[in-house]
Amino acid sequence: MNRRAFLKSSAAATAAVSVSHERAVATGQPRGPDGGGPRTSITLTVNGAARTLEVEDRWTLVEVLRDHLDLTGTKVGCDRGECGACTVHLDGVPVYACSQLAVWAHGRGVTTVEGLSDGDQLDPLQEAFVAGDGPQCGFCTSGQLMSAKALLNAHPDPTEQDVREGMVGNICRCSNYNRYVAAVMSRAPMRATRGDLPRLDTVGEAEPRVDARERVSGRATYTGDVKFTNMLHARVLRSPYPHARVTRVDTRRALALPGVHAVLTRDNCETRWGSGDSRNPRYLFNDPVRFVGDPVAAVAANDRHTAEEALRLIDVDYDPLDFVLDQEAALDPRSVEIQPGGNLSPRRDGERAPERYQRGEIDTGFAAADVIVEETYVSKHHSNAQMEPRVAVARWVADELTLWTPTQGIANCRADLARDLDLHPEQVRVICEYMGGGFGNKNQCQDADLIAALLARDTQRPVKLELTRKDDFLGVHGRWPTTQHYKVGASRDGTLQAIQLRGYSGMGPHRKSSGGISGVELFRCPNVQSEVSPVYTNMAVAANFRGPSYPQGVWGIESVMDQLAHDLSIDPVDFHLRNVTREYLDETPYSSWALPECIVEGAQHFDWPSRWQRAGTRTGRRRRGVGMAMGMFAARLGRSSAVLRFEQGRLWLHIGVTDIGTGAKTAMAQLAAEAMGMPLSDVTVVWGDTDRCPYSVGESGSRTTTHTGQAIVEAAADLKRQIIAANGLLAGRTFISQATPAPVTEGVVRYASAAHFVEVEVDVDLGDIRVARYVAMHESGRIINPLTAESQVKGGVTMGIGMALHEELVYDRATGIPVNPGYYGAKVMTHLDAPEIEVRFIEPNDPFGPYGAKNVGEPPVIPVVAAIGNAFFNATGRRIRELPMTRDRVIEVLA
Amino acid sequence: MRRLVSVNPQSLAEAVDRLHTEGASASAVGGGSDLLGMLKDDLVTPDVLVNLRAIEGDEGLAAIESVAVDTTEDAEVRIGGLVTLTQLSLHPIVVDRYPVLAEAAKSAATPQIRNVGTVAGNICQRPWCWYFRQKFPCYKHGGNRCFSRVGENQFNAILGGGPSFIVHPSDTAPALVALDARFRVVGPDGERTVAAADFFTLPRADLARENVLEVGEVLVGITLPPAAARRSTYAKVLDREAWTHAVVSVAAVLTMDGDRVRTARVVLGGVAPIPWSVPRVDDLLRGQYMTAALANEAGRLAVDGAQPLSKNAYKVTLTKNLVRRTLLSLSAQH
Repeated sequence: MNRRAFLKSSAAATAAVSVSHERAVATGQPRGPDGGGPRTSITLTVNGAARTLEVEDRWTLVEVLRDHLDLTGTKVGCDRGECGACTVHLDGVPVYACSQLAVWAHGRGVTTVEGLSDGDQLDPLQEAFVAGDGPQCGFCTSGQLMSAKALLNAHPDPTEQDVREGMVGNICRCSNYNRYVAAVMSRAPMRATRGDLPRLDTVGEAEPRVDARERVSGRATYTGDVKFTNMLHARVLRSPYPHARVTRVDTRRALALPGVHAVLTRDNCETRWGSGDSRNPRYLFNDPVRFVGDPVAAVAANDRHTAEEALRLIDVDYDPLDFVLDQEAALDPRSVEIQPGGNLSPRRDGERAPERYQRGEIDTGFAAADVIVEETYVSKHHSNAQMEPRVAVARWVADELTLWTPTQGIANCRADLARDLDLHPEQVRVICEYMGGGFGNKNQCQDADLIAALLARDTQRPVKLELTRKDDFLGVHGRWPTTQHYKVGASRDGTLQAIQLRGYSGMGPHRKSSGGISGVELFRCPNVQSEVSPVYTNMAVAANFRGPSYPQGVWGIESVMDQLAHDLSIDPVDFHLRNVTREYLDETPYSSWALPECIVEGAQHFDWPSRWQRAGTRTGRRRRGVGMAMGMFAARLGRSSAVLRFEQGRLWLHIGVTDIGTGAKTAMAQLAAEAMGMPLSDVTVVWGDTDRCPYSVGESGSRTTTHTGQAIVEAAADLKRQIIAANGLLAGRTFISQATPAPVTEGVVRYASAAHFVEVEVDVDLGDIRVARYVAMHESGRIINPLTAESQVKGGVTMGIGMALHEELVYDRATGIPVNPGYYGAKVMTHLDAPEIEVRFIEPNDPFGPYGAKNVGEPPVIPVVAAIGNAFFNATGRRIRELPMTRDRVIEVLA
Repeated sequence: MRRLVSVNPQSLAEAVDRLHTEGASASAVGGGSDLLGMLKDDLVTPDVLVNLRAIEGDEGLAAIESVAVDTTEDAEVRIGGLVTLTQLSLHPIVVDRYPVLAEAAKSAATPQIRNVGTVAGNICQRPWCWYFRQKFPCYKHGGNRCFSRVGENQFNAILGGGPSFIVHPSDTAPALVALDARFRVVGPDGERTVAAADFFTLPRADLARENVLEVGEVLVGITLPPAAARRSTYAKVLDREAWTHAVVSVAAVLTMDGDRVRTARVVLGGVAPIPWSVPRVDDLLRGQYMTAALANEAGRLAVDGAQPLSKNAYKVTLTKNLVRRTLLSLSAQH
């Protein structure tokens, strides 16, 4: 019988499976008794306790801490010394634990985040992080703490510059840098200015996150921290070609390697990944492979090193095909066809045509215009780069699957898994206690989840599949690149007459998202014509990333409008006030709308009149300039559920959220406390487990507050009625209520909006763009928690600065291979890059949503790139029309 | 990672012997950061790691010491190869007398990497060219082409390049060349001293390696000539505020007579496969008053003969401006 059949039939499920010990590969490398590598006995002092253990020489310090000493508070973000998540102290000095072998720590002292606290007693710095809203998703927090602790040990009274320099080796992708710095300096967190809605009791209060203590102490269990004693490790082999037929996959040598338990390829696995593509079938293993990183095989082995070795033993023959990377070029009939029927991705109704929108009569509009601007803008593939790499842990008991996965929506993930694995949803349990960010790339279920589940079923062992950081950059998805051709016209007095957009979005070879280009709707204009084509390419897949269709689209349209204002010699603020949308698409009223107020107040507070002068009039080697841009994001109502349970004076709030760093649990708890008239401390959130929590839409599209929040408010109303009806007889009774509202707005639409103002300084000699001042005006209805909402805004703005100035997944055009997948190559923002950002909220009264809340998760990243581009133009009189605005582009445009 | 064994030599002699015996199967390890990254990406595949940090004893490998001749001003400074970048950036002798080196060390990477990264490791660092790190089959991986030449060469060489167009990634290297440092190398055939400027090899001389170290040789120490009245600085342009190799950098060392330049030594980083000396600039500046016009001319001369690739012409402008700016600010220091 073949090896896999043998394994399936064998009753033994331990590591001592009897397999042939043939030396499948003669590497000349020394091999240990169980097939592992050479071992050494080491003794190190960890958090004050001496630990002696036998380790393989090749094991890093971080994997020994996490996997063999059960200290999972230290995280692995990249395993390359490029992110800082694994920072520990080695003899008191911060180092990257991923970049040290454990054997080198023999005889030395290691301190991890677990060593900072004493039982439930947190270190004062950890307390400062809790109070100051340090952790958002929390994945970088341990590392930040260790760096900050070492800094404070050396400099008890640091300056802000000292702090940023001392912590610069720790990336935070939620970009919560300003919060961390303030906490380290024992400064109270900045408070955003607020609107003047009548005060409530709990909603609207700056409450620390209900799980902050877990996130700062290393006790929060992320998916990668889950382990079982007989667990196998999995790895995925990925295509090195952008487009190729896979003619042969030979797994014999891999299967023969001691310690390998199963190998999946398209030959033995035809499982379809339903949510991986909404237009064409996408399998876990596809032929042809259509992007560098497309999975070809997956291996489950005793440990991750053996799994990696097994990948090297899989022989694959590829027959390379032509490939196309550019979204516009892919529509040329001479370009290779990537999906059947052509590279223009069909609409939802199946029609193979671009998404079109029109109002008025575009030619009439241009005829009425006195000034016309016609320009093209090109944005790039921009990786989500969340701190926690994709991982999945799958475990079967009989025919029931439990999957631990860092998902943004447990309910959707479960539904997808059940469908793709042909199971009843009741057979599937999805658990996500804590997750380290996603910004849109951890929705639904992922192929990693399915692969882990299948390997676990085949081997009858729990399986952990970890993506490497490079796998995550290539194999998940990022923001779609676009080519945007604009033509806009206005009359002499600045009134818009016509807006025309012809745009192309590169989706990679699979359609997972809208592929839209949004921003035109920010403007009132009688004549609009938009045609956007989502196109298949052989780049990495592109789908949702914070604000999906907006940051790049707003950059395009706001740049063109800024140019138009300049050509008309009109101040951009005046131009915006004249043309800002006041009814959605000039026809439907907004439920609440304070964007014009954001512009006016923002300009005033930013001191726009004294900072602004006509573009191109500045002189000197360092030139300042100011720019502004608007943003908006739908705050729809929709269906979600909440179950409230009241017993013994305590409220248990069962909601299907995972809290991806947004503070969703805290906001929902505040809503429940407010609606019940109870203190927040009497509320316990039950979350992250499909066995215990009802449906929630998932933390995507900035919908949790509106959808799940509304369910909480309605369930609370019912619960209060029950309790009142009990007439004081509460002892020994459990009261339960649930609500699954599916409200709709009739005749109005709901949008949150923002206006951002930035001053940049451009060093014309060196090509630097530096943000000198940033004011972010946001209107999101009622703010439920101003502490966490302000962190969202600061984080989104910082992320947007990175998109504007640095980040791009760069492809070698000749081979179709990305050359910089990883944190170092992406140049994500660091502590020293993040400017201070001033946040101000206007709180219009909205009749919908829980207490009138709209959303604040995605709006902050939307206007940033545009505002910076416009400020650059203001400073220099030149415009960069290709992202990112890197040094080479700055120097070239100024030449 | 592939299987490997990490050995702890008891002495430098033992380390050298082991490296020599194992040949290409072994790698010396200092801090280990860069080596582990390369191991994980399968860029290098040694079976044996020789952990130099394990060497006990009084061999001066981790020391910084001033060796006076007559007076402090005539003192040479010896820096052991295992001195970390953090130590280098903070040590008073280096900070006070050779600021270009302290600044260069401080500009590298992040505190966590500097805390373990050794100066020898920094000097011997392999290239960070994208194509090299993504394991394209280029010259430096035993192949027969350079992919950057017609590819994404924004960060590749504008001077001295060809057939490979890597730039040398080290920050301390240009500083040490500008300081006329001497490197002490120990190998199976004994000890030799190599001038810093002679330590690095151009691709047209040797495609496989970036420096003159033979198999089995270890860079064990650096000797700096007396600081005398030299003033110096390291100016580095990075594409984000930290944790990035130099796009372009300038190591400048001057001695001044009031406002007049007595001697000058300018070395460029980020522009060539080796730290790039520009003797014509040194000659131009000698004996001259530093003016904006002279600094400008120095900048122009520094990039004279540059041969940019398709995407890195901006480095020519950038280098010119950085040289000018650095010379003006360094000469104006008190």
